[in-house]
Amino acid sequence: MAGGYKYFEAIEKHAGLLGILTAIMVSIGGLAEITPLFMRAHEVKAAEGVKPYDALRLAGRDIYVREGCYLCHTQMIRALRAETQRYGHYSTAEESVYDRPHQWGSKRTGPDLARVGGKYSDEWQMVHLRNPRAVAPESNMPDYPWLSQAWVDPDEIAQKMKVLRMLGDPYTDDDIAKAPAAVKGHTEMEALVAYLQGLGIANEPTNPAAQKPAEDGSP
Amino acid sequence: MSAFWSGWIMFLIVLNLSITLFLFVWGQFVKIPVQPDGTSGHVWAHGVLREGVRRLPLWWVILSASAFAVAIGYLVLYPGFGAYQGTIGWSAHSQLAADKAANDAKLDPVLKALDGRSIEQLAAAPEATRMGQRLFVDNCAACHGIDGRGGHAVGAPDLTDADWLWGGTPETIVKTILDGRTGTMPPFGASMSAQNIEGLANYVLSLSDSPHSPALAAEGKPQFGVCSACHGPEGKGNPALGAPNLTFAKRLYGGDLATIEQTIKEGRTGTMPAWRQRLSEREVRLITAWIYAQSHASAETAAR
Repeated sequence: MAGGYKYFEAIEKHAGLLGILTAIMVSIGGLAEITPLFMRAHEVKAAEGVKPYDALRLAGRDIYVREGCYLCHTQMIRALRAETQRYGHYSTAEESVYDRPHQWGSKRTGPDLARVGGKYSDEWQMVHLRNPRAVAPESNMPDYPWLSQAWVDPDEIAQKMKVLRMLGDPYTDDDIAKAPAAVKGHTEMEALVAYLQGLGIANEPTNPAAQKPAEDGSP
Repeated sequence: MSAFWSGWIMFLIVLNLSITLFLFVWGQFVKIPVQPDGTSGHVWAHGVLREGVRRLPLWWVILSASAFAVAIGYLVLYPGFGAYQGTIGWSAHSQLAADKAANDAKLDPVLKALDGRSIEQLAAAPEATRMGQRLFVDNCAACHGIDGRGGHAVGAPDLTDADWLWGGTPETIVKTILDGRTGTMPPFGASMSAQNIEGLANYVLSLSDSPHSPALAAEGKPQFGVCSACHGPEGKGNPALGAPNLTFAKRLYGGDLATIEQTIKEGRTGTMPAWRQRLSEREVRLITAWIYAQSHASAETAAR
């Protein structure tokens, strides 16, 4: 063992070599933890009841992303009793296959929304989005009043669905052809509420029958 | 997990542990050439800083050794080494099931003791209403308010008074919570003139002796015919349809003239979501007991 010092000295005295070897050692954790899941992501298939978003909900989802809802709301119920008791069955990867990108989030300033669909009425959601304090006096969520005045762009939605189809979402030509008409005349508020009302409860593994909230997306 | 990826993870773990363990052991014994002055001969800042040669401190050796012991112990006990599941068979889901079972073991006797009691009896039992209140605050307060007094923002009814939209018997309340309700009032803005709506709104206010203009109310009275289909000829409402009792001064969406005019003009749809998917029947009965206790307590106070 005594003779090995010259190798140690060689590494210590060559910053480039030291950097490369350090990078290799540091990357081992990521290679072991991330690569297998990443390479096998395509093997995750949609759970029963999980369908690609219809046009209005898809538009609503993009508004959810645009407004940064994920910065305060998770959509990831962890397998912990306190969470499953409050929010319902824990989230599974099979439920998120059509979420590009997924909205799991990592910050919970507000409550988890993974299964919020149907918990409140459409009207409650709209009142709450316009002014959260009207229904939850202690809320520190910002107001989103402009959503009631902005219209969903019907020209964009078909293009979005085509791109998602390229990525693997099973939209039919018919779905895409009908999409602009489905969102035309709807406000962003209606689209976002349709998205929220579709979250989770229909996919909940223990509740296969529950599929109540606004099927046509109209409030 | 496929054999390949399991092997991949195992290989990386073994590689990492071997390299770090080798460095750890080697570091104890390696001979470092020492200059006569006790340094390694490395100098910085023109000899101002020199590198001494010392044995690794004992605390550091013990700390590092225990880190290896913990890592290896963890990989033996818990899932982590590729597809190997660990000797104690731990998983996040089995942990959740165990936590839930432990909680149920504490909760079930409490709930069982309450089974078989009527809502009226539960409403008189503080151990039931405490749980009911907790569940109410968590699930119902978003619309009905933390004290159950309702809110004009979404037309959520006051649950503490004697007036009930869909009926106030215990079993009706349970049904309302489990299956939800939707009350719809159609808009009349297209079929009535603004003048007629103003008169009608004043007449509606007169039904509950709220401040109104008697002259306009008299003008509006004939318009009420169409309303009586749901609200009844005397405006006392209809619990079968969830049509509110208009002789009550407290209104779902607010009792001022402008709000009532708006209601007539634009209509209203009030939705109580169904809770069957989210709450157990036991939980719903506890919530009902708390609500029942509130409405009957305030009725008693009013009677006194």
